[in-house]
This record gives sequence, C-alpha cells and structure tokens, in this order.
Amino acid sequence: MILDLLKKFTTLWVILFLLALFPIFTAAFDLPFWNDVVMRIMLLGMAAMGLNIVFGFGGMVSFGHAAFMGIGAYCAGISQYYGMDNGWYQLLISMVTCGILGLVIGFLALRTTGIYFIMITLAFAQMLYFFFVSLEQFGGDDGLIMDRSDFIFIDLYEPLRLYYLIFFTLVFVSIVLMLLIRSRFGVILQAIKSNENRVEAMGLNPLKFKITGYVISAVICGVSGCLFASWQEFVSPDIMHWTRSGDLMIIIILGGLTYVAGPLVGAIVFLLLEELLPDLLHVVFPSIAENWMIIFGPLLIAVVLFGKGGLMGVVGNRLTRPAARKDQ
Amino acid sequence: MTATLLLEQVFNGLQAGITLFLIAAGLTLILGIMDFVFLAHGSQVMIGAYAASAVTIATNNFYLGILAAIPITFFCGYLLEWLIIRHLYRRDHMDQVLATFGLILFFNEVIRITFGPAALFSNFPPSLAGFIEILPDTPYPVFRILIILVGLVCAVAIHLFVSRTRVGAMVRAGASNPEMTAALGINIKILFRFIFAAGATFAGLAGMMIGPLTSVEPGMGEPLLILSLVVIIIGGIGSVRGAFIAAIIIGLVDTIGRVMLPMLFRTFMSGPTADTAGPALASMSVYILMAVVLVFKPTGLFPPKGA
Repeated sequence: MILDLLKKFTTLWVILFLLALFPIFTAAFDLPFWNDVVMRIMLLGMAAMGLNIVFGFGGMVSFGHAAFMGIGAYCAGISQYYGMDNGWYQLLISMVTCGILGLVIGFLALRTTGIYFIMITLAFAQMLYFFFVSLEQFGGDDGLIMDRSDFIFIDLYEPLRLYYLIFFTLVFVSIVLMLLIRSRFGVILQAIKSNENRVEAMGLNPLKFKITGYVISAVICGVSGCLFASWQEFVSPDIMHWTRSGDLMIIIILGGLTYVAGPLVGAIVFLLLEELLPDLLHVVFPSIAENWMIIFGPLLIAVVLFGKGGLMGVVGNRLTRPAARKDQ
Repeated sequence: MTATLLLEQVFNGLQAGITLFLIAAGLTLILGIMDFVFLAHGSQVMIGAYAASAVTIATNNFYLGILAAIPITFFCGYLLEWLIIRHLYRRDHMDQVLATFGLILFFNEVIRITFGPAALFSNFPPSLAGFIEILPDTPYPVFRILIILVGLVCAVAIHLFVSRTRVGAMVRAGASNPEMTAALGINIKILFRFIFAAGATFAGLAGMMIGPLTSVEPGMGEPLLILSLVVIIIGGIGSVRGAFIAAIIIGLVDTIGRVMLPMLFRTFMSGPTADTAGPALASMSVYILMAVVLVFKPTGLFPPKGA
C-alpha cells in the first residue's frame, strides 16, 4: 500500500523529500534565515492541506479556518500561561478543542450553502477573533509572549529540532490525508462535491460526511496553530485575522485544489513570493520595493483568469499526455 | 448613564447604519443578481474617500471634492467591471474570492504608492462643523446629521428606482432569476455593468462622507466590507429593503454595544478589563446576531421572491 501511495502522490513525496534535505542546503550556504521561512511554509501549508479537505475535496468554501489555527495557538499559549509546558499535552488539548469547536461550528454552519456558508464561517471566525481580543488576561489585542513548548526528549531550542518536529508532523498529516482521500470517506466527500443529491439518493447522509470532514480539517488546522505558537514564541489574535483565512484559500487555489499536494505547492510559492518579490522589486523599481503586493495582487487575478486548476493543474497538464488530459 | 448619552449613541448608530447601507446596497445587488462574491467593494469606499479628500485638499473646497469624486468612483466601477469582473461571472465562488482578494491588494498598494502610507486628513467646511440641538440641551454634530440625511435620501432614491422604474423592474427580475430575465430579451450585460458602477458610486459616497470623520488610509475599506457583508447576509442577498433594515440594526447594535457593554461590565469587573472586553464583545455581538439569523433563517430575513 505504501508503494501505491508513493506512485500516486509523486509530487507530494518529492516536496517532502526536498524539505527533509533543506537544512543541509541552508547549512552549506550558511542561510539559517531560510530555515525559518521554510518552517512557516510548512506550518501554513499544513493548515491549508487541512482546510483543503473541506475546500477542495468537499467543495465547502470555509472562510474561517484561521480561527482553528488561532484556537490551536491559544491552547498552547494558555496552557503555558498556567504552567503546563508539555507540548504533547498542548497538542492534544488543541486537537480536542478544535475538534469540538469544529463539530459545533460545522453543525450550525452546514445548515447553509453557497455564499451564506462562506459568510457564516467568516462570522464564527470573527466571533472567536473578537473573543480573544477581549481576553485582557491573556494579552487581548497585544497577544501573549510564550516560550517554545516542551516536547519531552525534543529540546526545541536545539538547532533544527523545531524544524524536524514540524517536518515530521507535516509528513504524518500528509500520509493521513493521502489515505483519507482514497478511503471510502474521501470518495464519498468528493462525490458530495460533484452532486450532493445523488449521494443522498444512494442512501447516504451527506451532512454526516460533511461535518466529519469539517472536524478533521479543523483538527489539522489546530495542530498547525499549536506548532505555530512555538515557532513564533508568541500568540495574538492576529493569527486568526480574517485575512489569514483568505491567505489559506489563496494558497490552496494557487497550488491547485484538487490535489493533496496542491496546498503545499501553493504555500511554497505564496511565501517565497512574499520573501522574494520585495528583493526583486528592489533591483528593478527601488521606489516601490515595499509595495510588492502591487505585483502580487494582479498575479492572483492572472492565476484565476488563465490558470485553471492552480499551479499543479497547469504543470500537471503539460506533463501528462494529451490522451490522459481528455478525461480530466 | 443618562438618556442624553443614549440618544447621542442612537444617532451615532443611525449614522453608522446609514453608511453601511450605502456600501451594502450595491454589494447586495452584485451578490444577488450576478451571484458574484465581490470582496473589493471596500476598495471602492477607499477610492471614494481618497478622491474626495485629495480634491478637497487641493482646492480647499469640500463640496468640489464630493462633486469630483462621484464621477471618479462611477468611472472606476465601470472600468473595473469591463476590464476584469465580467470575465469572472461564470467562475465559481472560490475563483471570485481569490481574484477580488487580489484586487484589494492591488488597490491598497496603488493608493499607498500614490498618497503614501500615512492617513490623509481633510476637514469639512466650517459651515458643517457646528452642532444642532436635536433635543433641548442635546447638541449633535451637524456633519453627522448631514450624513444621515444624505443616506436617507439615497435610500429613498434607490427604493423608488428599484420599485417604480422600468430599469428597476429589470433589476428585481434579475435578482430573482437572471437566466429567465436574459431569456426575456433584457440586455443583462449592460444591466450588470450599470448596477456595478452605481454600487461602486454609492460605496464611494459612503467613503467620501465618513472620510472627514475617520482616517482616510490604505485598507480603510476592509473592516467596512466585512460589516456590510454581514448586513447583506442578515438582510437576505439581493434585497435592498433587507439591506436597509439590517444595516440600521447592525449600526445600532455595534455602536450602542460599544458604549453600553463596557459600562455594564464595569459593574462586575475591574475598569481596564471591562474597557477591553466591552468593545470586543460588542464587535462579537454583530457576528453572533448574524449566526443566529442564519441558523434560523438560512437565507436571511428578507430573501428576494423566487430566489
């Protein structure tokens, strides 16, 4: 079965392989800063992969998944505030809290469809955002400064320990997703996306599958958020600002939403552009180097207008034979 | 807590609500008729505010600023629809979200490059800077009264236009069934472009009017966009009447909550904690309201007939 997964999800495995070797590259060229960038890529990529279960495979446009990242981060932050440093427990708390919240929000939000669903998920995310802004005890708007969590046997202050903790979590999440998407559950979820009525006519309850997908994606975002807190050594409501939910959606669409590896490709491109565009502009138009978004914005529009299926789709179609392209 | 303060807050709430309505009126039609998720509507507010402020500062005349900004925002909306938006109607919501998110980034940076990152300050003329006594011993700024009046005039005008004119009938028909409307021989493309530009103008007008009250800065439209989306959802997508009622409700809840909740909390909390928690929970109350409405009426309070 592992061999089967290896064959089926080549791009994902290649990316994971490169990510595993990346610290060697940064050590050789003495670029420790880039380890930091890549950790952020992996964390946001992980959250986007989680969101993609509902977004890409389930066809539910959730505009509020940054909230689950925030909940995960605050679970770590608040646990530490009360003196519980154990990272594994914090991860567990994050997952359970996000799972329960995902169940409640999913149950309420999935009564609506279309634009109303987009908006109700945004509403719940905004509620949680303002809830944490209101919590003066945990820093309110200013956030909560924290130490890296204590993952027993893994001292996160040792160089690269955090990198590989995030990396192996990402590998774990990837494998879970690969198995999930090919399982009965994954197939039904994708069937619901293409025609919910037919799934119902087959005697299945679509809502049950949609809520399950929603909960799983919330839990994955929570895991990402919990590690994000350790990476940032700081938690603030900013992590769950609605623009981050937007970023996660952009990452997915940029990469290609029908692919398990899509969000990861999207995260790499999105965050690399964020890092490199200012430098690039600095060379070409020094006066607007700070305003890199003026290039990035139209780039997004161009991806939508001309690149169907995101980067994975564009590149994938080039690589596959014309005959194979037909039935896509 | 005095009755005077409460009255003042009710008026502030009305003013906020009216402003929201001006933004939401166009957006609800864009969402309802074109089924288009247009996130860059907040940028139209910003464009309006900047156009008015820039002209006001250059000519030192507030009225000239408004006069110049109205055609500018209309033209911006028209051009935007023609260049980009019309290619996106047939795409799914995700693509629309992504593309219009890109537009937000683009507009913010254009403004930042042209006018700099700092806020732009333009004063309204001295003739509008005074106070009116709305009740004996209750002074209220003339400028805010003016905003309420202009907003009400716009609301009445939009209502009469939509409910009494031939083009308005096309708009209503488009809101409940676009395909059927097109099949009846109505040029839906021109209709879309016109609605889009008109919506942009009203959003721009809201920006022009609140410009002197708040800071005119890049990204100023986004919080307003999110709130007006809430308004549209509560009111029912495509319903101008629903948008009006919901906008007033949201304006009042948000404004009064911001004042009352900290007071309420101070009765059982320490001062600073209440001052932080109050406004945040007031902002939260808006979204709670929306979630409650959606859970019980999944298509909003006043969904257009046939939708």
